[in-house]
Amino acid sequence: MNSNNSRSYKAQKVIERMGKKLNRQIVGSLVACVHCGMCTNACHYVLANPDDPTYAPAYKADQIRKFFKKHYDWTGRVLPWWVKAKSLYTDQELEDLKDIVFGKCTNCRRCSINCPMGVDYATFNRMARGLLVSVGVMPEGVAVVSKDQWEIGNQMGVLKEDYIDTLEWLSEELQAEWEDPVATIPIEKMDADVVYSINPREVKYDPRTISDAALIFYAARENWTMPAECWDMTNFGLFSGDDDLGGAVAVRLYDKVEELRGKKLVISECGHGYRSTRCEGPNWGKKDVNFPMESSVITMLRYIKEGRIKVDKSRNTTPVTFHDSCNNARSCGLYEEPRELLNLVCSDFKEMYPNRSENYCCTGGGGAMSMSEYTPRRLKSAKIKADQLKATGASIVVTSCHNCVDGLTDLIRHYKLGMQVTQLVNLVANALVIEKKVMVPVEVIAEPVADLVGYRILVADDEPDFVTFVSAILEDNGATVIRAYDGDSAIETARKEKPDMMTLDITMPGKSGIEVFEFLKKDPELQRIPVFIITGKPELRKLIYDRPVPPEGYMDKPITEDGLLFNIKQLLKIHHHAEKVESKKQT
Amino acid sequence: MSELLHFSEHTLQEAALVFMALVYTTRLLWLLHFKAGRDRQAPTGREGTTPARGILYSWANIAMPWSMESTRTKPFMYIQFIIFHLGVAAAIGLSFIIPYAPSLLYNQPLVVILMVIIGGAFLVGVMRIIRRITDKYMRVISSPDDYFSLLLLTVWFAFAFLSVPNSTVRGEWHLLTYFILTAFFLVYVPFSKISHYLYYPFTRYYLGKTMGHRGVYPIRHVPQARE
Repeated sequence: MNSNNSRSYKAQKVIERMGKKLNRQIVGSLVACVHCGMCTNACHYVLANPDDPTYAPAYKADQIRKFFKKHYDWTGRVLPWWVKAKSLYTDQELEDLKDIVFGKCTNCRRCSINCPMGVDYATFNRMARGLLVSVGVMPEGVAVVSKDQWEIGNQMGVLKEDYIDTLEWLSEELQAEWEDPVATIPIEKMDADVVYSINPREVKYDPRTISDAALIFYAARENWTMPAECWDMTNFGLFSGDDDLGGAVAVRLYDKVEELRGKKLVISECGHGYRSTRCEGPNWGKKDVNFPMESSVITMLRYIKEGRIKVDKSRNTTPVTFHDSCNNARSCGLYEEPRELLNLVCSDFKEMYPNRSENYCCTGGGGAMSMSEYTPRRLKSAKIKADQLKATGASIVVTSCHNCVDGLTDLIRHYKLGMQVTQLVNLVANALVIEKKVMVPVEVIAEPVADLVGYRILVADDEPDFVTFVSAILEDNGATVIRAYDGDSAIETARKEKPDMMTLDITMPGKSGIEVFEFLKKDPELQRIPVFIITGKPELRKLIYDRPVPPEGYMDKPITEDGLLFNIKQLLKIHHHAEKVESKKQT
Repeated sequence: MSELLHFSEHTLQEAALVFMALVYTTRLLWLLHFKAGRDRQAPTGREGTTPARGILYSWANIAMPWSMESTRTKPFMYIQFIIFHLGVAAAIGLSFIIPYAPSLLYNQPLVVILMVIIGGAFLVGVMRIIRRITDKYMRVISSPDDYFSLLLLTVWFAFAFLSVPNSTVRGEWHLLTYFILTAFFLVYVPFSKISHYLYYPFTRYYLGKTMGHRGVYPIRHVPQARE
């Protein structure tokens, strides 16, 4: 047997440092395994590699357990052979251990919840990762990402100027699209009700998730901000097992929220980011956080429940399924809210089986996406997930985790499933019904129009169903409705009937809405008629609003009864007041 | 009754029990000397999921085969588990009944019940030995202690089964073997995997506490397969 002298420096350090990492929970899990084998089929690696028993969670756990027993448990000291206790001696043994703890387990915790004894293998597997990292034994990707997070402050090495540029660009786009100075991404705003933290992947590869979130905050009229620095809510410490990194990253973000005097930290959709920031961060950083933190999934659901945003599920009709992130579902209990939200914003939700805390890992968890040396192994084990996805019959898989987005996208490509991956924020933004503000200045004070009795309104749209729908709303509120189904008849009817206002679709047969609008505004007799654009193609709005005289108001389809009435009454009120002022000036 | 049998039933058992208690106490103190991790996070998850409920759920897990996929999808394994552990309880109980309350065994239905339970546990023990030897997954995770503990219990069940009637008509060898094995069992248990029942409340307590605080336990049971 080797003596202590023949043990490598790194092996010696791993053994010594293990003692500092042990707590009662971990020791309990290390001593309680009875090798009953009940965890075996809980692991996706086992299911995808039925001929290789070394993927069994109990076997993998024993590779850590053996040197714990040898050095910290007297049963292993007294009878090492009898209980399979064995010390670590060489650097090669550490490399072999690295292959197991990083390359054969995603720390998904599925075996933990299936263990009759309550052995939490994922927790001590993470501990073993941390021990190896502490002596520099880790996959290269883990080293690179950890370094970026230590030195640059986020795990993708996004520089501050790139981050700010991206936010400013997104903010300008948002403002331009909604033509509202309030529609921005506020950066470093003090005393905000919500401080929004994101995953660097969003800045680098998926800025749409940021703009969609910004749109939702705008629609909810939230008082929110994003930090200029310390904005990364992801935490590679969870994957590397490095509690020091985990604590430093989490505390940076907590301190930033305190510095901004933010009232709440909202964490964008990211499983490990949510778990790290919301659950583990205070433990790693030994800091009691004195502000609430929530997942953006809960925030979006709350906005809908509180009536702060309106959504229309008919805008998301493609069949979707939901993949539970392991960190969200098995470590944070976040699995009902996403489903509740999905059912509010999608019309065809198909459940995945198994689901919630029993769902299978996306296979990209535990930092696996950054460990390219294990990619073939990861993709082989992804067969289980691929079969699960395929069985749903859905075209889109939704998940609340950026890591899962990447993991699922990769396996969908590999197994040619032809599915798309998206996040809840994208679906919520797509389903948003935003009642646009009327375009004229609103500083005028006038009595609101109580109802539409006495008003004659021309509804011009080429969709008969839509004309019927709008007419019914207006007529129910006392208006007299005149109908037109193309551009030419809209002009003709306007000239003949002289309505008090008109609603106008942009794309119509004959003269388009833009042409109709230009014609009306050039005609001295008709130019006083306020025009309210209602379009299903908001991207065409620019064509009409770039003109010298913009229309008086507009809304996007689909519309709601309340939204339509509010806007039309507001428009009539303002128009009525303006005419009064004009008439006073003339007299 | 021979002096040897009397010694085995009383003095030997009592000494073994004291030894086991001492070792167990040491083992518990050893476990408790490790600091319990502190969870600083504010609770997450559904309403009604608290650490206390999580702990209770976690402890009750043993009686809820539907609560875990591993037991839900392997009912035969779960039944084996129940029979095996009832057998352990019955065989331990028998080691107290015979020396301290032998008159209970005049009750024939009780004798039959004990024999059925312990006999069933013996059969399960045999099945478990076969599984541990033939299943490649079980082989790779098994230590000598795993094999020996299972073999010890299975043999112990066999002698417990024979000892239930507490009859010496055909000699004392079965009773003697049963009590000597029981004493050995008591001495050996703290060093082996059999001591898992000592850890069970701890591991499940801490897992339940964490999972309850984080809203995972009690697990909300929904269909886990397409219906």
